[in-house]
Amino acid sequence: MLRGLKRKSIFLGSAFVAMFFLCSGEVFSQSLEQEATVEENIPTEEGLTVKFVNTDLEGAADALAHAPSYTVNLQMQDRSFPNGGGSVSEVEVRGVHNGETIFFGINWSDATENDRAIKHEQFRDAVGLMFPIEIVKISPETPFSPRMGDRGKIVNIWHWKADWERDLRADGGYEHMEDQYPDMFTDFDFDPNPVLINKKAHEGADLMSGGYAAGSLLSQARGRSVEDLNAVGFGTLTAQEHQDVDGAGAWVDGRWEVIVYRPLSTPDANDVQFVPGKSTFFNMAVWNGEDGDRNGLKSVSIRWRPITLEAAE
Amino acid sequence: MTLVHNWHLGRTMEYPYFESRPEHQFAAVFNINRCIACQTCTMAHKSTWTYSKGQEYMWWNNVETKPYGGYPQHWDQKILQMLWDNGNNPMEWYTGAEDKDETTAPYGLYNGDTIFELAQNKGLNQVAVGYIPDDKEWRFPNIYEDTAASEKTNYETKAAAESSELPVHKRWFFYLQRICNHCTYPACLAACPRKAIYKRKEDGIVLIDQKRCRGYRKCVEQCPYKKPMYRGETRMSEKCIACYPRVEGKDPVTKGRRMEARCMAACVGKIRMNGLLTGDYKKPDPKNPLDWLVHVHKVALPLYPQFGTEPNVYYIPPRWAPRSYLRQMFGPGVDEALDKYASPSRTLMAVLALFRASQTMIARFEVEDGPKIYESEVMGKKVEVYNDTAIGFASDGTEIVRVKIEEPTWESDEKRMVTY
Repeated sequence: MLRGLKRKSIFLGSAFVAMFFLCSGEVFSQSLEQEATVEENIPTEEGLTVKFVNTDLEGAADALAHAPSYTVNLQMQDRSFPNGGGSVSEVEVRGVHNGETIFFGINWSDATENDRAIKHEQFRDAVGLMFPIEIVKISPETPFSPRMGDRGKIVNIWHWKADWERDLRADGGYEHMEDQYPDMFTDFDFDPNPVLINKKAHEGADLMSGGYAAGSLLSQARGRSVEDLNAVGFGTLTAQEHQDVDGAGAWVDGRWEVIVYRPLSTPDANDVQFVPGKSTFFNMAVWNGEDGDRNGLKSVSIRWRPITLEAAE
Repeated sequence: MTLVHNWHLGRTMEYPYFESRPEHQFAAVFNINRCIACQTCTMAHKSTWTYSKGQEYMWWNNVETKPYGGYPQHWDQKILQMLWDNGNNPMEWYTGAEDKDETTAPYGLYNGDTIFELAQNKGLNQVAVGYIPDDKEWRFPNIYEDTAASEKTNYETKAAAESSELPVHKRWFFYLQRICNHCTYPACLAACPRKAIYKRKEDGIVLIDQKRCRGYRKCVEQCPYKKPMYRGETRMSEKCIACYPRVEGKDPVTKGRRMEARCMAACVGKIRMNGLLTGDYKKPDPKNPLDWLVHVHKVALPLYPQFGTEPNVYYIPPRWAPRSYLRQMFGPGVDEALDKYASPSRTLMAVLALFRASQTMIARFEVEDGPKIYESEVMGKKVEVYNDTAIGFASDGTEIVRVKIEEPTWESDEKRMVTY
């Protein structure tokens, strides 16, 4: 069939295909995501209420334990390439604030603890909270894409990573190759003092250190386990210059328990700002490293959920 | 997905981005026949780019022994198996005269699926089929070095024989030199959900932006040649950068002129020629040595064209290996290429003489005629050798190198040949 098609029809074929894609709008999908559906722009009725509790950082975990829990149902990310995930069906979230700081307690079931990403085949567990910045209303008439935002509609994403949490406990706040491969400096090496010599050669060239030289937060000790990011659609995720979000997490008996916190308001124009007594929206995603989840391979809550902060007393 | 033309396949194919060819394309021709697997290229690469922590296993340049060797182990068998098991008409080529076109389909028409088309046909949630090699597969870059396939494993030959002779040896292996192919349709670039990988407009070099990469390893998964690699130390991926500062002429040695990559310039066996192809494959420059080898004379062939990425490192296939194996690896152009290589034309002899004659990239060549110095017969074909002079020029027109076909030798005076 191909043989006959080849010369005569390739031009016509291309034209037809181009027409089809133009009509369906898919021709732009190589750089821009499709518009979110009407349903995606209808936020859920119920949402999370962030209680006002007079607590400090020390008492936050206890306060969160007593706060009402809100369950977010998750599903496979099936809206954009590369899609996947879906192994985590729900995540529980609680929220409290003390008039200055907002705390989120997040927990979900995960049979395996994946807190390292050093080997080729290692992927981390992670959880993300996403907020629109500067938005008060989301509806089909006033759409705001839940797919990591859109042009001119920026989202602020707080991304807790299990391997960053583990990095915090490592010497120097960063895990290195030798943490994964403890014998890497001595295997197959007959030098009388291999550790010293090889370490020197290895670590003497910062400039050659790819991500480290480029200043990426991924490649160096960053003293926190939550990354503060912005996005204007799939594929645009970018770490902020100024990192404001902190957190902690632990894997206990097949569940991740994570706390994420940040001051209610920050001087950073790229951050979501919380005002006690007011509402905004949020969305969540969970990555299961055991399943190879990363980037678009994730379990997501499709629709926006309202989040309301109780007025401070 | 959009439709783009892949001249290796002689047809249009699906790719997530529009066809956008660079002004010039970083490319190389590797003459497999000459390689002795000394790994000087490999070490030149290693000592230049990947000597730091997290890069221990990384060999952006490697030389593996075919058919058994591979870095990562079984990389090509695994991809071929995917195409073979699940693709439409795998490895099927139409090579009749009506299926060929001098510029747009020189090898014929590939009727099978590419890695992009297979992913789409299978409804995978990614742009190309692939897999992420694990530690075990990366660990032994030169596994099965010098291990030959014999008549027992080679279905083409008959009973065991003591000796082998051309055209096909009964016991055979050959060395395959591999770097990133800086493909026209890179699968790594297509796979990256963040567009952290880009292909430079000026020279077609494919790079990973270390500021944008987030270590998702989609490029590692979907590059069929397995040349993007994950660096655990920095939690992101890295790949061959084609020594782009040298290609840009930043090295003072070549006085601002484009310079060959490290692995190319270090080649002891003179098997490599590195330079830039003309961006428009329909208008090759017959005076550009790479254009001439690839597009005009068609003696150098792409590695696994059926993958569909239009790779830009070209190979002169080894004369002694079974043709069916070579056709699978380099496409149906193998027979024509080997015929031309076995009884080389005067121009081919001249261009081959320019391999590794200079580390400045040769943009143009000329041949000055010389006298006939040798005549013979190779497999029933007459071969005549003339002592022509091959002259290489840089892109700015400066003469870079001048070499004669017959290598100048000097014989010592008999009186000096003293034995004690």
